[in-house]
Amino acid sequence: MDKTIYTLWKRCENSYHDLPAVRWLEKKDVKELTYGQLADKTAAIRKGFAAEGFSHKQISLIGTSSVEWITAYMSVVSSSNTAVPLDAALPLADLIDLVSRCDSEGVFLDAKFAAAVPAIKQGCPKVRKIWMLSGETPEGTESVDELINAGKDTAENEPPKEDDICMIVYTSGTTGKSKGVMLTQSNLYCNVEAIVYDKDPGLVFLSVLPVHHAFCLSMDWLNGFWMGSVICINDSLLHMIRNMSIFNPDVMLMVPLMLETIYKRVKALGAGVPLEMLRAKVFGTKLSMIFTGGAHLDEFYIGEFKKLGIDIYEGYGMSECAPVITSNMIGDSKPGSIGRPLPNVEMKFENGEILVRGTSVMKGYYNMEAETAETLKDGWLHTGDKGYMDEDGFVFINGRVKNLIILSNGENISPEEIETKLALNELISEIIITGEDNLLTARIYPEQEAVEGKTEEEIRAALQAVLDGYNKDQPTYKQLSRLVVRKYPFLKNSSRKIIRHEVLRDEPQA
Amino acid sequence: MEEKFKEIAARYCSLEASEITNDMSLRSDLGLSSLDTMTLLGDLEDEFDVDFEFTDDDQRVAGINTVGDAIELLREYVD
Repeated sequence: MDKTIYTLWKRCENSYHDLPAVRWLEKKDVKELTYGQLADKTAAIRKGFAAEGFSHKQISLIGTSSVEWITAYMSVVSSSNTAVPLDAALPLADLIDLVSRCDSEGVFLDAKFAAAVPAIKQGCPKVRKIWMLSGETPEGTESVDELINAGKDTAENEPPKEDDICMIVYTSGTTGKSKGVMLTQSNLYCNVEAIVYDKDPGLVFLSVLPVHHAFCLSMDWLNGFWMGSVICINDSLLHMIRNMSIFNPDVMLMVPLMLETIYKRVKALGAGVPLEMLRAKVFGTKLSMIFTGGAHLDEFYIGEFKKLGIDIYEGYGMSECAPVITSNMIGDSKPGSIGRPLPNVEMKFENGEILVRGTSVMKGYYNMEAETAETLKDGWLHTGDKGYMDEDGFVFINGRVKNLIILSNGENISPEEIETKLALNELISEIIITGEDNLLTARIYPEQEAVEGKTEEEIRAALQAVLDGYNKDQPTYKQLSRLVVRKYPFLKNSSRKIIRHEVLRDEPQA
Repeated sequence: MEEKFKEIAARYCSLEASEITNDMSLRSDLGLSSLDTMTLLGDLEDEFDVDFEFTDDDQRVAGINTVGDAIELLREYVD
């Protein structure tokens, strides 16, 4: 049998037909769809794709987690088309750039972003169809029901092949441009297959990660479906803790930032409350497993959650590997490590850098041959992370080769990407972005001619205004929270490049 | 309302409610992460029985920098 998301999804439909697949909140009511109902809907949308000439085409998805979003996503990835899930929090200009760069011909759009329709139409001439996931259909768009209607007398296209590109995920690029990671049908299938940990259907997941992330899509959704789980949608981060008691999950995937917040809550309630009651109040009565990844978790939290009867399993991955590479597993874990390589992953080390080969490694970056050649050499993915394996086969991370800043919410920030944008400003001569305490700092050496005759306060105010202008359109995690105005230029190496690791040392406060 | 707000905010930091003043920065003085702020807003919804109509990455959330900003936002909804 082919290792494709199509076959995975067919198997779910047949094995779990009448079991619940998705739960979500509408106002205060919990709604539910079964595997059979969800599979029927995705099949109907696939017929719509066939009727509208969508075969081997890119289809972007713009929106936050919702049952409509996930229905559209499953329809695309179980067809021969390619899903491009985008971060809806990006500035509109960036979204348009990505829709256009990935050559999307179709876009599924959340009602909240209806105002983006004219800009998409204008900026992405290849887009033929915009389907609204819910709500009104502004001029030039159609509803998902209209797509289904268009396909009602059409047969589905041929199912996808293992090597078809199933998904393109955009990831921070160090050259100033984000890169589209091309994952095949079998890349995703093999990653999910390698991490199945429960044979009986019925586990309850609460999905709290941003839905466009590969970790969320592979390990909450595809992995949950594979195991016949019920996946509950967290409608907003505002309500994460409340929703834990509403949906009462067994399993959650989180980034370290979430564990840190929940721990604060536990501590605030903690004094004098019996552990069992405390646990039920914060986590619901059933939560026993939390998988974490995206950034390193302090081992301290593993011990603290263990006291409450909750096991945390830290893993490691990157979009380029669909995404999980190693993970601690039930009955096979070592706190502080990122676990063992998955069964479908080969790992070796080159000058301390982790290199990975296997069935989940991407095909390459979309339309970026040079970047692909730099990252994939003889089938080995160069992760950019430094690490080592101990005598028991557990892997530990101890640094980075590239300049990515990794925040505890798992977001990877490419400092170069921000620096390139801001360096164009006439007030800025040199700029370096650094990350401390989970916040981004802009370290700027002003253009001396442009600031001549101005006082320190005036210079600072002018530069702060530049940062404010930049921050206005950025998602919270990309905002520059601190400004350091430098008195002296940055130290440079012999080829006149700024020595990045010196910038904190030579003028920390300026 | 201010007092109640400060009691709730104190759950997320090492300060006592009485030590929290309106001009304090949620980030640098209280040590709240962006997610702490979101979760705090969720607590306010429950405690004051209001529904904030913004979503996770709304610029309004990003604009809440000080204790005073948060109280002002809350007042809009409660009054």
